Amino acid sequence: MDLLVQLLANGLVNGSHYALLALGFGLIFGTTRVVHFAYGPIYAVSAYGAWVLAAHFGAPLWVAMLGSIVTGAVLGVLSYIVVYRPFERRGSPPLVVLIASLGLFIVIENAIGVVFGTDTKVVPNPPSGILLLGPLVVTGSQMLQVGAFVVVSIALGLYLTRARMGKAVLAMTDNAEMARVIGIDTARVSIIAFAIGSAIAAVPAALILFKDGATAHMGFLAVFMAFVAVVVGGVGSLRGAVVGGLVLGVVESTGMIRISTEWQSMVAFVVLFIVLLFRPRGLFGGR
Amino acid sequence: MDYLLHILVMVSLYIVLASSFNLLIGYAGLFALSHAAFFGVGAYATAILAGTYGLGFPIPLIVGVLVTAVLGVVIALPALRIGGDYLVIVTLALQVIVTTVLINWTSLTGGTDGIRGIPRLEVFGVVLDSPGKFLPVAAVTAAICFAIAWRLGASPFGRALKAMRENEAAVQAVGKNVVAMKLTVFAIASGLAAVAGWLYAHYFTFVSADAFTVELTIYMLAMVIIGGTGNLLGSVVGALVLVALPELLKFVDMPPDVADKARNMLYGLLLIVMLRLRPQGLLPESASASSLQAPPERPPVATRAEGAALEGKGLARRFGGIVAVRDFDISIPPGRITGLIGPNGAGKTTAFNLLTGFLQPNEGEVTYRGRSLRGLKPHQIVRTGVARSFQDLKLFTNMTVLENVLVALPNQSGDNLWNVYFRPWKVRAEERENIGRAMAILEFVGLGDRAGDLASDLSYAEEKLLVVARLLATGAEALLFDEPLSGLAPNALAKVMPVFRRLAESGRTLCIIEHNLDVIRELCSSVVFLDEGRKLAEGTPEQLMHDPELSERYFK
Repeated sequence: MDLLVQLLANGLVNGSHYALLALGFGLIFGTTRVVHFAYGPIYAVSAYGAWVLAAHFGAPLWVAMLGSIVTGAVLGVLSYIVVYRPFERRGSPPLVVLIASLGLFIVIENAIGVVFGTDTKVVPNPPSGILLLGPLVVTGSQMLQVGAFVVVSIALGLYLTRARMGKAVLAMTDNAEMARVIGIDTARVSIIAFAIGSAIAAVPAALILFKDGATAHMGFLAVFMAFVAVVVGGVGSLRGAVVGGLVLGVVESTGMIRISTEWQSMVAFVVLFIVLLFRPRGLFGGR
Repeated sequence: MDYLLHILVMVSLYIVLASSFNLLIGYAGLFALSHAAFFGVGAYATAILAGTYGLGFPIPLIVGVLVTAVLGVVIALPALRIGGDYLVIVTLALQVIVTTVLINWTSLTGGTDGIRGIPRLEVFGVVLDSPGKFLPVAAVTAAICFAIAWRLGASPFGRALKAMRENEAAVQAVGKNVVAMKLTVFAIASGLAAVAGWLYAHYFTFVSADAFTVELTIYMLAMVIIGGTGNLLGSVVGALVLVALPELLKFVDMPPDVADKARNMLYGLLLIVMLRLRPQGLLPESASASSLQAPPERPPVATRAEGAALEGKGLARRFGGIVAVRDFDISIPPGRITGLIGPNGAGKTTAFNLLTGFLQPNEGEVTYRGRSLRGLKPHQIVRTGVARSFQDLKLFTNMTVLENVLVALPNQSGDNLWNVYFRPWKVRAEERENIGRAMAILEFVGLGDRAGDLASDLSYAEEKLLVVARLLATGAEALLFDEPLSGLAPNALAKVMPVFRRLAESGRTLCIIEHNLDVIRELCSSVVFLDEGRKLAEGTPEQLMHDPELSERYFK
């Protein structure tokens, strides 16, 4: 029983991580319909941004986190303006944009390897501390991951429902064509979606750097899990993306009662497969 | 010298991979990002069977191809229901699974160490232990695989694949079984990738999971895109360019691991630049040669058809809580044109969908020639003789006018790959006949002179005529047209309307959805009025237009 509770807690921690990744990816995908594969490597670069600040310049971790967020947002916006936007303007089919994003994926991922090498980067002074909650053991890093998820998702929720620009983003997620018709500047909204989406991904990127370190290839699994969570939750639904991420984390973790760790990545596939089979539009998808 | 020969071996290998990948993404439009996984499974199957178990040619090759083809079919199963972005994520998930299995099933795959010491191939007692000795085998294998892909691409089956890429609903509506098509093309493409894996394992004598990552799939994708999607020769060019070009980086002084990454960056950049400057690739898809052959004789379009009444009884269809159609009875007699009219959202198109199997009714039954159509798929219903068109036309826009019609002809032996590969003469002879039949149909609707043009170059009226020709080509005798005349100017109407009249006179069973009352009065002998999902009235056009209630609500 204690084991199950512990696994459930671990699942919620990992789920928070996936949920944040899915939130950023889902925001970009829902708003612009770009399947932004380079989201993965940009997430990785954000982690390296934090690492440079923390390890090279000895910056405190919260500064490193800020650096990570800025790095992510800038790269996200650049990838939209430099790579995707020209295709959109020309009216290229979605598949062409998707292929371009795969090209960008491979460019950025290998650029990381060229610049930083392939070894794992860790920060010199990771957050420490262990919390004992009854039978539960929770580390400081894990608390940070859950806390970051709660703070970011609430902030995003407020922004999307209260701020003028946030409402425009939400409107475009709902129906891009209609948003354009009622006079929303969709190019600007897209830039904002890329900025916020990539900034959101930079938060878990920095946290995973503090916790486990960063590697050049960490981006693929990140964008893969984000994409799976978004599909499981239902394309176009941010609430779905969050739930999808949490479900993946919890199922993956509690599944360890029966299956060993190295087969963990299969769990995401099983969840994806079952959802697509029985609810092809995802848990929160409309018709 | 060995270096150059090595590059040629690699080119051969990638010709197999790129051309099979092109069948999937370029021809069938199935964007599956699992090709590296198929390649890897083929390589590991060879490594395990030839290396661990010491089995000789051809068992590793055959088993590898079969196992991978089965895997391809399994992954195609979800692809039957979903498309686009969903297929991308499912195939990506397959990639992750294959990598996980290769790394973790240590007892079979050697885990992260991979499998070493795979025996080299031996031909007539010569061990193929140098690139020079291996090259002939690689080149011959590549040529055979390319020929297999080429035959498929150039066959009626390949044409149907392209039509499926253009529009999946429309290809069902002309009687093609898209399920079988998708499964087949996945099996063939993944099987060919496994052949490349077989070459790879025997050539390098070493396999390891990190050689078969999604990056490799992107590399192959770059070859297909740069060469030209939908053109297999393009894939050869793409393989040549992308294997040879980065070798130039060898002359820049870089540590090897940096050079590898620089090469990958180059692929990525090339891919993006190519999509920007020349998205169709170096060798763009060309219209098939069939349209260029000398026109054979043209059998006349049947002027006597055995149409029969198409009947729907008590049809109902609900979407969630919304009732789209209810208590709907309709009888469409042969030899006449029946009009289906009613305001927007009345359920007319839903009624068509119910009659042609695109939707299954919640209640009621459709019968044709006294046979119930319950449970039949759209393509099966076309074969029993009931076909429909779409309001938004759904033409195969990137194919020629002739190809649009050819795809729709029924019972083509070239749709069956057994015939394509083992009875090519039969397919070829039939193809000549079919071109004649297609030309006759095009001439019947007045498009004979546009046969070689792309469907995207037609005028609106010509597009509508092509819809008629394509439907006629299915051989179905009950034809349901969804707004075939809407949006046409009067002079275009004068050209298109007689076609419908002649079809009705030939004895076919015709039903059209139409809003223009003049057209209705001109063409239809009876009219069914639908509103809010139910039939409000039925009669001759005159009767309905003089119905006081209807004229109040609808005809002003």
